[in-house]
Amino acid sequence: MKNLFTFAGMALILALSLFLAVITGDYGPWYFAWLVGTTMIVLIAVAGAVMYEKQDGERQGKTGH
Amino acid sequence: MDMLINPTVVELSRLQFALTALYHFLFVPLTLGLTFILATMESVYVITGKPIYKEMTQFWGKLFAINFALGVATGLTMEFEFGTNWSMYSHFVGDIFGTPLAIEGLMAFFMESTFVGIMFFGWDRISAKAHLVVTYLVALGSNLSALWILIANGFMQDPRGGTFDPNTMRLEFSSFVQLIFNEDAQAKFVHTSIAGFVTGSMFVMGISAFYLLTNKRKDIALRSFRIAAVFGVISTIGVVTLGDALGFIDAKAQPMKVAAMEAIWNTDYNTASASWNLIAFPDKAAGKNLFEIGIPYVLTPLLTHSEDTVIPGIHQLVDEAKPKVVNGIKAMVALKEYNHDHSNLQALATFKQYQADMGYGFLAMQYAPDQDLKKVDASNMTSVVDKTAQETVPNVWVEFWAFRIMVAFGFIMLAIFAFAAYFSLKNDIEKHPLLLKVAMWSIPLPWFACEFGWITAENGRQPWTVYHMLPTFVSASSHSVSYMIFSLIGFVLLYSSFIAAEMYLMFKYARLGPQVSHHGHDKAPAGGGMAAQPAFAKPSLNKQ
Amino acid sequence: MDLYIGLKVLWWVLLGVLLMGLAIMVGMDMGVGTLLRFVGKNDGERRQALNVVGPHWDGNQVWFILGGGAIFAAWPTLYATSFSVFYIVMILLLFSMILRPVAFEYRSKVAASKWRDSWDWVFLVSGFLPMFVYGAAIGNILEGVGFHFGWDGQYYQTESFIWYLLNPFAILSGLLAVSMSIYQGGAMLMLRGTDPISSRARNYASTAGLVAIVLFVIGGFMIAGMHGYRLISGDPGMPANAVSGQVVHLASGAWLDNYAAQPILWLVPLIAIAGMLLGAMMLRANKPIIGWWLGAIAWIGILGTVAASMFPFLMPSSDNLNQSLTIWNASGSRYNLIWMTIFTAIFVPTILSYTTWCFRVMRGKVIKPDPADDHAY
Repeated sequence: MKNLFTFAGMALILALSLFLAVITGDYGPWYFAWLVGTTMIVLIAVAGAVMYEKQDGERQGKTGH
Repeated sequence: MDMLINPTVVELSRLQFALTALYHFLFVPLTLGLTFILATMESVYVITGKPIYKEMTQFWGKLFAINFALGVATGLTMEFEFGTNWSMYSHFVGDIFGTPLAIEGLMAFFMESTFVGIMFFGWDRISAKAHLVVTYLVALGSNLSALWILIANGFMQDPRGGTFDPNTMRLEFSSFVQLIFNEDAQAKFVHTSIAGFVTGSMFVMGISAFYLLTNKRKDIALRSFRIAAVFGVISTIGVVTLGDALGFIDAKAQPMKVAAMEAIWNTDYNTASASWNLIAFPDKAAGKNLFEIGIPYVLTPLLTHSEDTVIPGIHQLVDEAKPKVVNGIKAMVALKEYNHDHSNLQALATFKQYQADMGYGFLAMQYAPDQDLKKVDASNMTSVVDKTAQETVPNVWVEFWAFRIMVAFGFIMLAIFAFAAYFSLKNDIEKHPLLLKVAMWSIPLPWFACEFGWITAENGRQPWTVYHMLPTFVSASSHSVSYMIFSLIGFVLLYSSFIAAEMYLMFKYARLGPQVSHHGHDKAPAGGGMAAQPAFAKPSLNKQ
Repeated sequence: MDLYIGLKVLWWVLLGVLLMGLAIMVGMDMGVGTLLRFVGKNDGERRQALNVVGPHWDGNQVWFILGGGAIFAAWPTLYATSFSVFYIVMILLLFSMILRPVAFEYRSKVAASKWRDSWDWVFLVSGFLPMFVYGAAIGNILEGVGFHFGWDGQYYQTESFIWYLLNPFAILSGLLAVSMSIYQGGAMLMLRGTDPISSRARNYASTAGLVAIVLFVIGGFMIAGMHGYRLISGDPGMPANAVSGQVVHLASGAWLDNYAAQPILWLVPLIAIAGMLLGAMMLRANKPIIGWWLGAIAWIGILGTVAASMFPFLMPSSDNLNQSLTIWNASGSRYNLIWMTIFTAIFVPTILSYTTWCFRVMRGKVIKPDPADDHAY
């Protein structure tokens, strides 16, 4: 049941994003670029931090901390 | 009898608006960018569950708070100043310009300001995930705020979505879609918002570099440096791309601004080989560059993304303006007649015929005998038209150099971020103290770039408040000089003491570093100003 | 009824709601600022008092910014004219409004007692002055304002700011607004503060409520005797052009015309008086929640009284009576008001729901902050 709700929620978000993408993509290409770009910048920066944790873990593993 | 506003009052009003807007814009970019960086840090906290990211969010959040308060306070001035100092402007465009400002309040500013309270004080009162959503709402709110303000600004640059109504004597709102999807507004919003991301990244990266250099809280500094460097390098690329797009859009809507930005006095019809001025000393009175270093074959592709689009020079644009001035004078004379007698349909028809150029008629008012356009006749027409057409040129020297400085700083920052991101991702940034020092001393760069960008956009819009529609000198309120001196002195005193207090606090908290603000947060539950009384406190999910 | 007329009236009501919201919520924060030095005898008590409004003053202040934007969009000519006519007063209001957020943010960030004491004075001035100006401006508008328009819509001004700020009726109106803000701020301090702050606040707030009644009644008699404005002709559906199209006369006691025509309107000032009187009694009886709400009702009654007297005037001109700003000639265009209505209908309920959520998250009594906690105000 919980999975179903999660799935429905995700589907709703997806539909909303598609709708936004169609509207802004048609009339406001730059607004669309901002939505996609900002999401991408945040995600890549988060990935950078997660990568840091991995590197840090490896380094500590090497030095035996 | 038409009376023009005292030119000294107009200049003082312009000075006051420029000073207060530049000052406000010291705080805006950091708010736009730092909120998303805080949201990024907190996302990592929620994803990995490592408490150090919560501590980072709280530490940078404290610096954000110092900045945010002044951003709000000085933004209030901007909202007031249209009414207090630009009465004719507000009356003339309020129907369409006021609306995005009102929507900004309703949609964005309220959200940002309400949730900021929870962001600062609500750590122990809501779940970590809910708090993350709140932080994202603050970030989204502040950027939506910028969106609506820049939609309003876009209307000043390229008035779309409004129609002049001779019965109400103002521009009336006629198309919501045209207003919000104005190309200038779109590109400017993305450019400005991402410039804020760059500012936030440089701020976090520079201060983190300082901690690395002084061996303070390396755990926090290294992680913050990583996030800021990655965030910054992508954002800077985005800013440059959008700046280029904005230039492309301006070339269509505001050719005079572009000609001034590039100090092009005469059209070069050999479009492919037209040369781009790397350096120039433009002299408006002489109508040429006293000195210039140009690079051929660069200009046309750079500005128009083509080989064969003609880029008009300032002199040619002035010539093109002359027939518009003649038409504008006819439009304004007819409009005045219609306004004295609304049954004069002949005057209305004449006005409608020349309506497109009415702004040039407004602009000619200052050169007409007794400021009455009716007195412009065959004897003085040429002189009025020539002077008015010449008036359409902005200050070329300021435009050229403000633009150059912004672009140069943008590229310098791109280089710094590229190196920083590279070494940070390799995880050996600590081995490059020179780069750390450069990063630290580069903290002011994005602010300079932002301010000069703003000067480029708004100086290039002169002599209009609404491009081709309403001249600046008509827009001001009819105050006395003494009123203006009073308010100017007040602003200068107030704002200088603010900046002194802000810098003092920023330096104090940045120097102290994260370990101090660490006290009493994770250890004691009293995270906010209010005690978490057992009866009211919600279960805290902060420790995962 | 024509849609455009309906929209104009709707936005007049919303303008009223905004001014009321501003008076109640921002007025409350201002009242706390004014009372700060009196209810808090030492630094700890003052910090506690500040933290009573700490998490919400910012959200409340947004009402003020929202008010500016909404007046700009829905009443462009009113915004353009009123803000310029009251220039010096508006600038003073602005200075105190921008000092206040800074005071909140900076006061407790440095421990030196001189620093904190200076900021406490800033709270006093920036709480008292804006409320005084708010009231005085409404008083002036009732008396008529010296401005007129040129053919192109540019306004011209004839009177100096000293006169606007310092005439008996304006001073009375200003003090009424200040008393109400002290009442409202005091009620909040009682509600969320602890002794000795709340008992001190009770004395100040209940006294302020009684003072407000006296000022309100005196003001009522002054209005009955002063020159009011009467719209002789003017088409409610006219294009919004303040330069021409109306005939306005001046007549003694004309501000009571609407009450004479619709006697039921007398209920509005009665509600104001009842709100203040019962509210002051409730505060005396240590019932701050009911007292706070009665104060809010009193504010609605006070501003409602002004609105009922002036309808359909927004800002009468003493210079050129026919160019007085009314609901009919100073509004935005039909298209604009439609869009503004759509956005308001969507976002005001949204705002109210998340603001309520934020209040719920942050509810509870405020105790003295730990001196080392530099996160609190």
